[in-house]
Amino acid sequence: MSAATLQQVTHLARIGLKGPNAAAWLRQQGIAVPERANSWCVTNEDEQNICVRLGSAEFFLEQTDGNVLRRLNAELATYLPGVYPVLREDCAVLLSGAGADEVLAQLCNVNFAALRTEAREAVMTLMIGVAVTVVPQGNAAHRRYRIWCDPSYGDYLWSSLQDVVQPDPVDTTRDLGGIR
Amino acid sequence: MMYRLPPRNDEWIDRTQSIAFTFEGRHHEGFAGDTITSALAAAGVMILGRSFKYHRPRGILSFANHDVNGMFQIGGVPNIRGDVTALAAGMDVLAVNTIGGLSNDRARWMDRLGRFLPVGFYYKAFNSKRFFPRWERLIREMSGLGRIALDAPHVRTPKRYAFCDVLVIGGGSAGVSAANAAADTGAKVLLVDESARVASLDTRVEVLAGSYVAGVYADRWAAVIEPHRMTKVRAGAIVFATGAIEQPIPFHDNDLPGILIASAAQRLLRRHAVAVGSKVVVITSTLGGYEAAVELLDAGIDVTHVVDLNENPVGADLIAQRGVKSFAGIRSLAAEANSAGCVAAIRIGDRRIECDAVLMSGGWAAATQLLLHVGGKVTFDERTQMHLPSELPEGCFVAGRINGTFDDEKARIEGEVAGNTAAAFAANPASSRSGQPTGKPVGQMALNPIVLLPCDPRGKDFIDFDEDLQVKDIENAIQEGFDSIELLKRYTTVGMGPSQGKHSNLNAARILAHQRGLTLNDVGLTTARPMYHPVPMKHLAGRGFTPERATPIEQRHRGAGAVWMLAGNWRRPEYYARADESREQSIAREVAAVRNAVGLIDVGTLGKIEVYGPDAGLFLDRAYAGRYSDLKVGTTRYGLLLDEAGTIVDDGVIARLHEQCYYFTTTTGGSAGVYRELLRLNALWGLNCSLVNVTGHRAAFNLAGPRSRELLSAMTSVNLNEGAFPYLGVREGIVGGASARLLRVGFVGELGYEIHVPYSAAAHVWDLLLEYGRKFDLCLFGVEAQRVLRLEKGHFIIGQDTDGLTNPFDARAVWAIRMQKPFFVGQRSLRILGQRNPRQVLVGFEIAASVPALKECHLAIQDGEIAGRVTSVAYSTTLGKTIGLAMVQPALADVGTTLKFRVTDGSMVAATVCPTPFYDRDNQRQKQGVAA
Repeated sequence: MSAATLQQVTHLARIGLKGPNAAAWLRQQGIAVPERANSWCVTNEDEQNICVRLGSAEFFLEQTDGNVLRRLNAELATYLPGVYPVLREDCAVLLSGAGADEVLAQLCNVNFAALRTEAREAVMTLMIGVAVTVVPQGNAAHRRYRIWCDPSYGDYLWSSLQDVVQPDPVDTTRDLGGIR
Repeated sequence: MMYRLPPRNDEWIDRTQSIAFTFEGRHHEGFAGDTITSALAAAGVMILGRSFKYHRPRGILSFANHDVNGMFQIGGVPNIRGDVTALAAGMDVLAVNTIGGLSNDRARWMDRLGRFLPVGFYYKAFNSKRFFPRWERLIREMSGLGRIALDAPHVRTPKRYAFCDVLVIGGGSAGVSAANAAADTGAKVLLVDESARVASLDTRVEVLAGSYVAGVYADRWAAVIEPHRMTKVRAGAIVFATGAIEQPIPFHDNDLPGILIASAAQRLLRRHAVAVGSKVVVITSTLGGYEAAVELLDAGIDVTHVVDLNENPVGADLIAQRGVKSFAGIRSLAAEANSAGCVAAIRIGDRRIECDAVLMSGGWAAATQLLLHVGGKVTFDERTQMHLPSELPEGCFVAGRINGTFDDEKARIEGEVAGNTAAAFAANPASSRSGQPTGKPVGQMALNPIVLLPCDPRGKDFIDFDEDLQVKDIENAIQEGFDSIELLKRYTTVGMGPSQGKHSNLNAARILAHQRGLTLNDVGLTTARPMYHPVPMKHLAGRGFTPERATPIEQRHRGAGAVWMLAGNWRRPEYYARADESREQSIAREVAAVRNAVGLIDVGTLGKIEVYGPDAGLFLDRAYAGRYSDLKVGTTRYGLLLDEAGTIVDDGVIARLHEQCYYFTTTTGGSAGVYRELLRLNALWGLNCSLVNVTGHRAAFNLAGPRSRELLSAMTSVNLNEGAFPYLGVREGIVGGASARLLRVGFVGELGYEIHVPYSAAAHVWDLLLEYGRKFDLCLFGVEAQRVLRLEKGHFIIGQDTDGLTNPFDARAVWAIRMQKPFFVGQRSLRILGQRNPRQVLVGFEIAASVPALKECHLAIQDGEIAGRVTSVAYSTTLGKTIGLAMVQPALADVGTTLKFRVTDGSMVAATVCPTPFYDRDNQRQKQGVAA
């Protein structure tokens, strides 16, 4: 199997929100919002800073710098009409390398290899029995997948991925998830 | 005797690479490209194993990847199919199903007991319960295949998913043509064939050689067994080019080594340059036998006779000029063995023909099993004497011999059509149609009806070589009334061996049709089910994935000596063990700590759900049995969730955080199901509210005990004074630097606080609680102590003290429902149930002494009849007596009634019904707290 690399990115900051006014509120905050459900867009130039639309009225944002999200979260905590905070303490993993598709093929029955990265789709599915959100990024030559799951399944998903990926994964966990 | 021929064109072996191996301890050599069976054949080894029941010596039969006679044991791996497994250097090959080795099998006397072992003998002879275990052990010892090595190393076998536009099953002419045609359209094509080589394929076709499809399922899922993994293939369309399987001919001693199916001889010759003998007789009902004879003759092998069972031989002209004697319309046939037990002659009536190999060609069975798995239909075709596909499932296509097309060129054309059609279907399922096979059968093999010889009075005319079934077994079963194809299969076990009836089902059906005067269409075929070929268990098991959830405190629990228990898919500390304590002592210590000082338990496994929006209160009013729209912000209320039948399905605490925001808990096991059901109800009702499941994202601890307030107040910004934060209150604030929700609840019956914090902050808050708790003698407590504590308070646990029929009347939880509400789930049923007497009632009981023998689920007995059952029981060190809850008949529910429970050893234990709670009846400890 071609090489694949695993990286823990749980340390990235993220927030979630939902509700009938969630999209409009994000736009008011100057945040780019994907037009379609189950898709994502970048919130600045970097593909690490993204807004994922999980349904018609649910979003989550992930960024390397937590300052913006901290501010947004503080506002969300004030019970805005039609905008509801969603606590996102996900376990987050980055899977990359030429063997990434083969790793996913052993864990999930979604044909990730057939997804075009430029379509910027967000896939919500079950992976080895765990509900995950998967975002394919990069390009055809250098594909990577960002995977999120409930943190209580984090150890299980991580160790299962490790089990499939060889050689040893890279662990860059600095601290646990949530907003920093 | 079989032997290796000089080099031949297109042979699969590499004569420059010798491979040494042993069989039954004897040294042999083969070539690279040999299978185990072909190497043994080339070495002149005629006897490969012993048969399943009679331990008769057996040689090559079909050499078609399902040859039950060529199964071997290599090391700890049993039942290796030698006809398809590549020979490897150093293999130590053993025959299966022998006691003491192949040549000296001590169980060979079983062959003489054949007449005492008629069909279904075990149904008739071993129906005594007393003796059955003995017979079972004996039968298992005497019959069967290889032996499992219990000390075999654990090997993890990956599974994976794969996707293609067109899956082609079979790499013959039709399959290769179909794959190439589909690839030409730009489709992504995967071809699977079990042979080591597949010829002439477009480079765009992905080939899985040495692999087979074990099953095909709905929506064109196929399980492909590769040597070292299983691949679950999702295909846009499937072309079944699975070919046809040549059938044996039943006659006396047709299983002697040296007697094999004609196409087996052809495969041995073409692929491995092995001649099956030096003096060959062919027995046939079809053209196939003649074609095999010609091929062997062309290879320089002496074919002396062709015996045709038909009056009008269809292939006589093929051998007319080759010096082969022929017989037609033969009705009496038997084989004779030499001193080694191998075939030495064929006897036709009084005539004896010496030979060292006999080829059988008893017609063909289309290999439709995989097609049938996925819902295809077949009809018996008189011209080809085969069951041919008559209806194809959507997206499925057939080509080649499976479709009755034996002519190579015509099969190629048919494959091309199937490949193109399949690719078009995969590209656009809506515009393509399938449902009918791609063409009428052409180049048919059989022109005469297949002839079955009459049952030989001496028997040993085998129908099923896997299960050692003879013609008389089938006929006897029919006479005994097992005269439908499915009954016949189950009674005789025909087709239930490793080859799954590939060479027995059709002949068995022919006998049934003949006996009952039916057509083969009337008789039908048995249901084909996966697996098509035997699949190693390791492939099915695959890599083990068992989802497990962990709270953020798991490592700390482990460090504290947690003894684990499973709760749903969570691992929870049952109790915290200490070296000098028994389990009971540890639990008692934890209970005492909560009652007398302060205890801490991780309750992060509870379901945690938020509901937001203007209709949040209304939604909860409709979903739960209580009323929540009138709940004041900053307070909590117990919530009971019912189903439409009024049955209790879950419970929890519902807290109002804001006019438009509620936060509530569910049971550990119920969280996913409750959330799913609430989502469904929300979609159904269309209310203006949204649900958020934060079960895994938020950790929760319960700090309980008389000193809990003191401890917590040292590390929180929340005012914990009684007036500011009363019992059943909820507050948001900072605990240990983390944003927290505090719920003042009393599940364990003491002053207590549930502390809910984000997952990422949980470990830090837990550590702080332990640090601050040192001076308060804080003690960790596990699930078992919590169960005792709540039992002392008489609280029931959903799923333990209730069952799938328990309603609030049974559980005496009417106080938790508000019938005057306009609507809630289960309300209508409760109105009806309220008019009736309860079927059962949950009561508390007590016993003055400790009664370790009394367990949950022990039955209450009244007048010799079952009158209830224990749902919870424990010895309370706090109260100094055994207490419990039991679901009993209403007549036994009055306080003071004596209940009699029957324990495991049959003795009776008396208990007295008493009021609950057992402890702190006016709930002062949890409401007010008491001085520690």
